[in-house]
Amino acid sequence: MHERIKKLIVEKLRLPDVTPESIDDDTPLFGPEGLGLDSVDALELVVGLEKEFGIKIRSPEAERDAFRTVDSLVDLVRRHLEGGEAREATVES
Amino acid sequence: MSRHEPERVVVTGAGSLGWYGVGQDALAIALAAGSPSFPEIERRTGVHPRKPARHAGLVDGSAIGEWVSPREGRRMGPASRFTLAAARMALQQAGTSAEAIGGPGFGIALSTAFGSTRMTEDLVLEILDDPESTSPFLFTECVANAPAGQIAIRLNAQGANTTLTQREAGPLLSVIHAARDIAAGRLDRAIVGAVEEMPPLTHAILDRFSALAHQGLDGRELPRPFDRDRDGIVASEGATCLLLERESAARARGAEILAVIAGWARAFDPTAPAHTWGAEPGPLADCLVEGLSRFGIVPEDISLIVSGASGARRGDALEAGVLRASFGDRLPPIVTPKAVTGEFAGGLLGPGVLAITGATFAMPAGFQREDPALGLRPTAIDGPASRALLTGLASGGVSTWLVLESAR
Amino acid sequence: MSSVSREARPNDGVVIGLGAICSLGSSVCSLADDLFGGRAAIAPFALFDTRRHRTRLAGSVTDIPNHARRHSRTDRLAVAAAREALGDRPVPASKRIGVFVGTSTGGMLEGEVAYRDILVGKVRASRLVSQPTSAPSEAVARHISARGPVESIASACAAGSMAIAAGLAALQDGEVDLALCGGADGLCELTYAGFNSLRAVAPDACRPFRADREGLSLGEGAAFLLLQRREDAERAGTPILGSVLGSGASCDSHHMTAPEPSGSGPARAIRAALDHAGLPGEGIDFINAHGTATPHNDAAEAAALRSVFGEDLSRIPVTSTKSLVGHLLGASGALEAVVTLICLRAQCVHATAGEGPVDPELGLDVVLGRARALERSRFALSTSLAFGGANAALVLGAG
Repeated sequence: MHERIKKLIVEKLRLPDVTPESIDDDTPLFGPEGLGLDSVDALELVVGLEKEFGIKIRSPEAERDAFRTVDSLVDLVRRHLEGGEAREATVES
Repeated sequence: MSRHEPERVVVTGAGSLGWYGVGQDALAIALAAGSPSFPEIERRTGVHPRKPARHAGLVDGSAIGEWVSPREGRRMGPASRFTLAAARMALQQAGTSAEAIGGPGFGIALSTAFGSTRMTEDLVLEILDDPESTSPFLFTECVANAPAGQIAIRLNAQGANTTLTQREAGPLLSVIHAARDIAAGRLDRAIVGAVEEMPPLTHAILDRFSALAHQGLDGRELPRPFDRDRDGIVASEGATCLLLERESAARARGAEILAVIAGWARAFDPTAPAHTWGAEPGPLADCLVEGLSRFGIVPEDISLIVSGASGARRGDALEAGVLRASFGDRLPPIVTPKAVTGEFAGGLLGPGVLAITGATFAMPAGFQREDPALGLRPTAIDGPASRALLTGLASGGVSTWLVLESAR
Repeated sequence: MSSVSREARPNDGVVIGLGAICSLGSSVCSLADDLFGGRAAIAPFALFDTRRHRTRLAGSVTDIPNHARRHSRTDRLAVAAAREALGDRPVPASKRIGVFVGTSTGGMLEGEVAYRDILVGKVRASRLVSQPTSAPSEAVARHISARGPVESIASACAAGSMAIAAGLAALQDGEVDLALCGGADGLCELTYAGFNSLRAVAPDACRPFRADREGLSLGEGAAFLLLQRREDAERAGTPILGSVLGSGASCDSHHMTAPEPSGSGPARAIRAALDHAGLPGEGIDFINAHGTATPHNDAAEAAALRSVFGEDLSRIPVTSTKSLVGHLLGASGALEAVVTLICLRAQCVHATAGEGPVDPELGLDVVLGRARALERSRFALSTSLAFGGANAALVLGAG
């Protein structure tokens, strides 16, 4: 799942100078020390994660901490998958 | 009204990109050749007419990498990238930089006819599929004022930020809007200009509107302004940006003054249908002559017309009618740069500045036979004009004219 | 209370006509009737299938007059409000009247239908004629046979205020004798889905300035002012309904969707508008804020107001018209100018609808519950903070 999320980050956010392999599990996604993402990137990621994993993230603001690193995103996706919030259509496909 | 004499507003930088390449020099070379080679456009949208137009003035996107890095452009649509590149060229030619002139006195007035069409089309299709999984990136870039907002961030332009949408009249309107703000002291300087993008679907739709040029007798698909056989525009994309500032500020920093904003006029033609041009030149000519008189300009003062004629049948006929009614038998030479740039909103501003600084405008390849119904024809010119009238008659009825003159 | 005075100037832009259409009313009269009741007109609507979207509500208009076959919904809203502003007065020498219109999406609703057709290989060009954002201004100008300057401004949520500023500039420069200026935006799925994708839309009706505000509500409508130079209106004996005394604009140049938190951008626009009007901040009797009810907008806007007015801000009532009719995007600045003029004349500020305590961090005196009568009602401020960081402010006067 880590690899899928890293690939999603690079592709969805159109990061030209970043490869999935260059992102560590604990690289900060936001701020100048990390990938330098912002709130719009976070929302784009939400849409990407929802599609990729068939989940629904209702209030991204409340999940702000989950967008710190790839590790925390993996936790977020697992919580939503286990919570049974998967969208039927995506699960079927 | 008691007003102090407003100071002159001048152009000190120009940037341009189109099918012809990147920069005013590339534009000058294309105008001097007069024979455009428009790239072929993809035609798989499924809505083209049976005999589709095959060419468009498309920008080679890889050519702007020097001006906009992939990293900073990652969330920009083509329109924002084109604009940022053209704006940076204008600053460079003006011998300045965002670091030097950024701040509250630096504004943006940008025009576009259709906005960020590529992103808009993509977003509408996503919404039809599933509104809940639409991309925030697309939405933030499909808004008409996205390019103006994006370049304001990159250039630290904290002054008034305006996006004007008036089709073919928009580019001149952007100059007027900012020049007025600068003259009134609301801004010190501004990037003005226009941007357009031409994705295949927009192109196909324009073709279905019967707006586009098709193969002529010479076998070439060309815009033919004022030609008897003109049959439409070649739809193009690109951007043109100018840096405007007060004359005293430009002189104080030793900048070369490319052109002076000498005056303008505006009018609306209520007889024009929403999708095309009207057919009554008289009232428009009255507005042109009366509008320029507010700046102390009479038709005899104009030494060159940089016409917005694009090869549209009705549009060119109206343009010719307005020029004849305004100038009578003292019509100055006319150049038609859209014969080379194709129709995109910025296709007039770059050539307008070149006309004042001195450039060669060859007789366009698309012009072969005079239209007796129009009573005028384009001219080839070589060398600077002292005072040029730029014309922007838009389909839908809005007309805008701008006079540029030499600083000498 | 300080006693600020301002001399009337011959080239002040005075308002001689008003027009408005929004979810709260289809004319200025009906809007004025319902404005002070303080009830929001933000509800489920049937323009498109909202079950497919994250949220369900908007301030939608139900009866829009139709004056031309190919007008988009936005064109129809624009023409309705412009006709009301013009009233039954003849327009003399029509090349001396200009039309200045703000819109954010023009005829996108019809464009969406056209795109749906295109997916199945059908192109109905007539649907696309009025899609561009240039269409509403041209529809209005054509409808009233104007021959002067026509200008469309598409600077998102500040477009309506900017169009009024553009009309005022043309008037004060002597380019026109009458400026018909305002804004129009109809609802469409693109903005509805778009603001939802940014998670900026509240699930219930929006609650500006509240501590637990959750986002904006979208709305639709149009509003126009007819402006004339004061000297001309006085010479002709035209009744004066109010005035547009100053305009200012700025850009955050910070971020495409998030306002710069210190509010320095809107603060500069407000100072420029006060300066243009020749009025000190102490002269402002109330503020019609942008007040979208997104957490970031209201905070940045309040910061801007605090930095301009300082401690004096505690004296100035603040309200948000968006709590009643939603966010009219390109029309919002124009509608809020009309509402501000109604309030100035009524000497009363309408309440900001919505439940919950005001966010104490904002430091604003928000008018809540019921309309508030004013001791002094001469000058007011209206602000607009747009997408892309574009800001605009207007100083309006009672006469």
